Amino acid sequence: MQIKALKLQNFRNHESTLVDWLPHLNVITGPNGAGKTSLIDAIHYLCMSRSFVSNSDQYVILQGESYFMLKGDFSGTVRSEFEVACSYSRGDGKKIFVNDGPLDRLSDLIGMVPVVVLSPDDKRLTREGPIERRSFLDSFISQISNQYLRDLLDYRRIRRQRNSLLQQYANAPHMLEMYLEPWNKQLVDAGASIVDARHKVLEKFKAYLAQDYAMISGMNLTTDLEYKTFCDASVGIEDIKKQYYDKLAESQEKEIEREQTLVGPHRDEIVFYLGDRELRQYGSQGQHRLFALSLKLAQLHYYSDELDDLPIFMLDDVFGDLDPQKTQILLEALKNHPGQIFITSANPVPFEDVIEFDGERNQLIRIEQAEIVGKE
Amino acid sequence: MQLTSEYLERAIEQLSKLPGTGRKSAQRIAIHLLKQNDEYALKLANAIIDLKQKVIRCSTCGNVSDADPCNICDNSKRENGQICVVEEFNDVYIIEKTNEFRGRYHVLGGVISPMDNVGPDQLKIQDLLKRVGGNEHIKEVILALNPDAEGEATSYYINKLLTPYEVKVTRIAYGIPMGTELEFIDEATLSRAFTSRSAF
Ligand SMILES: [Zn+2]
Repeated sequence: MQIKALKLQNFRNHESTLVDWLPHLNVITGPNGAGKTSLIDAIHYLCMSRSFVSNSDQYVILQGESYFMLKGDFSGTVRSEFEVACSYSRGDGKKIFVNDGPLDRLSDLIGMVPVVVLSPDDKRLTREGPIERRSFLDSFISQISNQYLRDLLDYRRIRRQRNSLLQQYANAPHMLEMYLEPWNKQLVDAGASIVDARHKVLEKFKAYLAQDYAMISGMNLTTDLEYKTFCDASVGIEDIKKQYYDKLAESQEKEIEREQTLVGPHRDEIVFYLGDRELRQYGSQGQHRLFALSLKLAQLHYYSDELDDLPIFMLDDVFGDLDPQKTQILLEALKNHPGQIFITSANPVPFEDVIEFDGERNQLIRIEQAEIVGKE
Repeated sequence: MQLTSEYLERAIEQLSKLPGTGRKSAQRIAIHLLKQNDEYALKLANAIIDLKQKVIRCSTCGNVSDADPCNICDNSKRENGQICVVEEFNDVYIIEKTNEFRGRYHVLGGVISPMDNVGPDQLKIQDLLKRVGGNEHIKEVILALNPDAEGEATSYYINKLLTPYEVKVTRIAYGIPMGTELEFIDEATLSRAFTSRSAF
């Protein structure tokens, strides 16, 4: 899958910018604040319906304007040519159009153009709380399984409904039981599907992670990961459901006391290991950085094997943190990856040594104050 | 800006409260109305007043109607022992267009949604039980609620309450894409969903 052209209007510091992209490597350089990240964040919007930098759509609008508008021309092997557009205004909210047809739900966009992003923010992935790893996993699986995304959205809604009941009927346990039943069944159905999918994907993912960490670190420390959930996730969906019902019954009193749902995939955790030590507790700064990089490379390689179309890969400002040797290894890996890649970098990285900017497959774009000032 | 007509401003203000109508569209509509003849304006105004004052709810099925009982409940040809349970009256309208269903309806007036403070008591579920246990000779209750979390929970709850009654409970299921609201489904799909309804 690749994006061939991108149009930005009132997006961050881009008042009106048009860029043509090439099928392999697109390197964007320029001083800080020039609008490099905005260019690839715009592409991210067209893939995931949201920013990978900002949590709020309205801060993305160019100052003094009331809306932003993005358009991208994509082409792939399954779906040959199509246009995705995204508009946002304070009054009308966010809208996504595919070939000019509006999507009923933003979530319908997810998976149409799979994307993998590596950004400075990824250091949170292995260091901070479990919510970071769950959202990595959710975005990972949602892009390859529509069913997973639907289960996730259902589960979230069912849990909110269930929590409301637990709050409203905390003093009437008999009523509560009767009212909870219809929600419990749905919670278990959606929750068990999520757990089953997470288990299966992570089992496969392990090997990719190990391979990419070894490649990028050049070391023979082995990586591993452990999926922690409320039950034995390896036994298949029907058995997961049985365990789920048992756990719900077990924790009912506690749920009433705490007035919230306590059993389910919303409390899952993934534990990463380097050698035989837990990364989060014992990892050095350098190890965390390489691990996050390996996670994203592994995601890229996993998608490349699983999907009919290669994903788009974005590396936002990651070369500054790498030593020359690792930079070389990463650049070689990118050069050998057949899909479309976007790299932003403020620092002068020895791109020319490894990559030939021929203007047909690879290009280097220089940008200053949201204007393209040079191309090679 | 200096207002040249307080009345125009008032009309725009009211029109802009309509769903999907921003201030700009409201202005366009108001100006359009202003250009029409008096007769049209009067007809429109009366239609709105009649809508509010003359449309009532059928005390049997909860559907909107000009008379009580509504003409579906009043139609003896539709006494076939089937009740189709729907969320809102517009669902009745949508299902009627398919010409697939010849029984009667029961409009719940919503679905169970604890976070919106809607429980079974806020819906016409007890009325449904009364109808099933009454003298309408109901043999089958067809649940035609939206296939989302709230619709599912409501279907599950009603099915459970109906177990003591001698009545078959079915639901429309096949042919409806997951997560789609009834009103967005094309008639062909909905009609197929009706013929392939399954036991709950
Ligand atoms: Zn009626």
